[in-house]
Amino acid sequence: MRRTGGSLRRAAGLALIAAGAWLGAPLAVAQGPSAGGEPSRVVGPPRGSALAGDALSARAEDVAGLLRCPVCQGLSVADSPATMAVNMKAQVKDMLAQGYDEEQILAYFEHSYGEFVRLEPPLRGVNWLVWLGPLLALAAGGALVAWTLRSRRRVGGQDPLAPLPGPGTLPDDPELARHLRRVRELAYGWAHGRPPGSSS
Amino acid sequence: MIAALGRSLVLLALLVSTVGVVVGAATAMRRSAAGWAWTRRLAYLFALAMIAANVLMLWALVARDFSVSYVAQVGSRAIPNWVAVVSLWSSLEGSILFWGLVIGAYVAVATWANREQHPEYMPWAVAVWLACGAFFAFLLAGPAQPFQTVHPVPAEGPGPNPLLQNHLLMAIHPPFLYLGFVGMTIPFGLASAALLTGRLGHDFLRPLRTWLMLPWTFLTVAIVLGGWWAYEVLGWGGYWAWDPVENASFLPWLTATAALHSALLTERKGVLKGWTVTLVLATFLLTILGTFMTRSGVFNSVHSFTQSAIGPTILVFLVLALVWSIALLALRIDRLGAEGTIEPALGRDALFLVNNLVFVLFTFTILLGTVFPLLVEALRGVQMSVGRPYFDRMAVPLGVALLLLMGVGPALPWGRATPAQVRQALVPPLKGAALAAALGAALGVRRPWTLVALAFGGYTLQVTLRELWLPLARRRRAHGESFGRALVEAGFVRGRRRFGSYLVHAGAAMVIVAIAVSSTMGESREAQLRLGEKTEVGAYSLTFLAVDQVSEPHRQAVVARVAVTRAGRDLGVLSPRMNQYERQREPIGTPAVRSSLFEDLYLSVMNIDPAGGNLGLLAMVNPMVGWIWAATALMAIGSLVSLVPSRADTRP
Amino acid sequence: MSEGGASKGKPRPFNRRVLLAGLVVVAPLVAVLVMNLGRNPHLIASPLVGRAAPDFVLRPLDGGEPVTLASLRGRPVVLNFWATWCVPCFEEHAVLVSAARATGDRAHFIGVVYQDDEEQVRAFLARQGSAYPSLLDPGSRTAIAFGIFGVPETFFIDGEGRIAAKHVGPLDAPSLEAKLRLSGLAP
Repeated sequence: MRRTGGSLRRAAGLALIAAGAWLGAPLAVAQGPSAGGEPSRVVGPPRGSALAGDALSARAEDVAGLLRCPVCQGLSVADSPATMAVNMKAQVKDMLAQGYDEEQILAYFEHSYGEFVRLEPPLRGVNWLVWLGPLLALAAGGALVAWTLRSRRRVGGQDPLAPLPGPGTLPDDPELARHLRRVRELAYGWAHGRPPGSSS
Repeated sequence: MIAALGRSLVLLALLVSTVGVVVGAATAMRRSAAGWAWTRRLAYLFALAMIAANVLMLWALVARDFSVSYVAQVGSRAIPNWVAVVSLWSSLEGSILFWGLVIGAYVAVATWANREQHPEYMPWAVAVWLACGAFFAFLLAGPAQPFQTVHPVPAEGPGPNPLLQNHLLMAIHPPFLYLGFVGMTIPFGLASAALLTGRLGHDFLRPLRTWLMLPWTFLTVAIVLGGWWAYEVLGWGGYWAWDPVENASFLPWLTATAALHSALLTERKGVLKGWTVTLVLATFLLTILGTFMTRSGVFNSVHSFTQSAIGPTILVFLVLALVWSIALLALRIDRLGAEGTIEPALGRDALFLVNNLVFVLFTFTILLGTVFPLLVEALRGVQMSVGRPYFDRMAVPLGVALLLLMGVGPALPWGRATPAQVRQALVPPLKGAALAAALGAALGVRRPWTLVALAFGGYTLQVTLRELWLPLARRRRAHGESFGRALVEAGFVRGRRRFGSYLVHAGAAMVIVAIAVSSTMGESREAQLRLGEKTEVGAYSLTFLAVDQVSEPHRQAVVARVAVTRAGRDLGVLSPRMNQYERQREPIGTPAVRSSLFEDLYLSVMNIDPAGGNLGLLAMVNPMVGWIWAATALMAIGSLVSLVPSRADTRP
Repeated sequence: MSEGGASKGKPRPFNRRVLLAGLVVVAPLVAVLVMNLGRNPHLIASPLVGRAAPDFVLRPLDGGEPVTLASLRGRPVVLNFWATWCVPCFEEHAVLVSAARATGDRAHFIGVVYQDDEEQVRAFLARQGSAYPSLLDPGSRTAIAFGIFGVPETFFIDGEGRIAAKHVGPLDAPSLEAKLRLSGLAP
């Protein structure tokens, strides 16, 4: 890294900030003549109702939250401070004001950027797996738990209110384990010192 | 010279750990005192070699010795010394060297702590630990060498990524994360040892639990520290974005927490041994998956290091570890057996099973979402994203379910409970639930999930507070002790484990509720202001006072001065800023945050023009964010309290 | 997972259920990771290649009538998104200028300025020379329509207005020539 004069660097740096910052506001707010890629040509005429005021701002936040900022890593357009994201958010707001609905706006950006730009996987093709997967896992897991619990139903009476015996595990030392089992045999009446219904 | 010495130390570590694996395994298969002594010595020597290598690298970084390749990569004369130290873990090779340090230290301490106990298990455990250590030594000796010699020696280096110099948290978050991640190797070794010997005895559960809980504590703090960093440093007002690497740190936390609870039931009833062991193995495997995700360059993430040969190497290790784990489980899980049964009826036992289910489901869901874009790429050739909206949608019901379980579980009695007992246990905390929900509704909460979270939170807090209070009350009744004395006696001297655990629950419940409230009840406003203009957000009134330009050695900053008042009272001046770093094209903002008891006022610069006196300000009121950090501290305290060994534990 | 003792009969040397569960969970995961090794996740393929190029109406830097893509029909169009603050754009500028001069009337070369300051662009072009018009894109609407991730990115549009190829990153002479040919440049 070459070192330039300190004051020159400072001036350059400040100029860069000034330039970047100066561009931020106007570029973000401009309703320029650039009529790039008329949305209606891609997604058809507006299907929803035109929004305004606070409702518009709130809805713009919501929809921008579903779009991925293309120049950031994983941030949504709503959260990202990058200039590109700011511009995209402005376009979202514009389209909402013109009456496009959420799906149309998402489809418009998807047309240009690909499925990548949608933060929530749309329901098509193999994408169903990511939505159904957790539900299927829940069902399978729930069934497993229910089966594990049910298969242990006791046959023959045993007083459910009787005090339950202490810890069931045994120490590793075989001598000690033998003694403990004898104690349990005597104290609780367990056969071979094992709790009733257990194994090995 | 330093480079050559460093390389030698790495090779020494590799050699020693490899020999240690063989000696440890041999000792385990044929018990011998000499074998165990040598195994221990090799473990200590491995640790020594890794520690020395790291100390050497720190020396080189601080001394700006650019003949060492890693220093040439991240060192710089322009950075302050604390940044030089921190750059040890800022870049790929250094971070693996740091991993070696942490694993060496853990192995040494864990070996020493168990040097006279569990002789049937320990040689196996040490052998497995050293095998993992050998892998990282291999990385350092092969694909990820930090100690290569650079010739000719450059006069200056580029310094670490400027983003990482922005905040002191950079110094703390990675070490905590490593202490958590790498620490999971220890319970992995212990669980492997249990499977290899075919037994999981009651005595062995104690060290398993201890060595699971210690890294768990660090990991919990590390994850939240990462969120705090994102919140304080990145300026978008959030603390968690479900970035793949964030998820990578969260996945092992989930299985580790499940393992801790499962181990608890195993200790009490001798059941769920297979589950416990599987969860512990899964935790370690997820840490290796996590390190692969971070370093392979395969995932689209803000954290990723660049691609290199390291990715495939880690993947090979991951596959080997997976094969090892599945084979061990398939061969030995039936031998572990059970010495009791789970009560089939509604009672605390059954809820442990449900608890396992929810945690595993959570893990599966996040893993699926994180890996899914890769799956689609492989199957359809299309790049797609699974982002925050998806994860939020999935995490909310799961988090809320966990919140409820934390209340219902401890409320129910152990074992089988009659319907009357169940009613007696589960109905009273409904008061807490109703109170919390009513409070929320009164304060303006309308979203259903948030109200549910508040209700469950109130329920769980009432149960937890009762469990914390009961032993205290009993002592006061029985011994007439003062409150303070009873607290120390019941909470610390005698019932540490239980008391600490309930503190953790209390903290966890508060974290979940705080997350629910902060993510749904915030207010935000964007305003373009000229000098002197004001705007309002929440109850605050903000006036744009001035613009300053600040020049620092590594960055230029434009600072906005904003006066804050609330209800007429002057609350001072906040200074959010926009920083321009030399190597970045887009400037990076640093927000200004004013935290009070119930909410944060969060100001961030969107755009700023010093010449024209224009400011684009993003102002947010984030409720209860401070509670997340404070409650996590409570969790850490509770965990540490519970970890302090009792006299019974330290007896040989 | 059976808690021991549930299965009767001859004990097997291994638990089949665990083995199966392990493989079912692990094999797809490992397969997915292996298949994605070496792929750069930051390179996103453009969905626009092969599709009709979005139309635009942009004002040239030097003033005058707004330029539309429709008006350029009939000849291949090289549409280059660039900025003065972008180092690779600086590198490819000479390549583009000489290619524009060489092809003359057979193709249209158009530059679209991306998130930049008008004065700086003028100064740059004055210093480096220009052989084709540069258009201004306030609000980056056109950049968004073309799915721009960064600069430089260049689109090669054929005579019917369809995007024949896209080039991400700085152009070199061979790539430029090859992609021009793809878009139907008359030899």
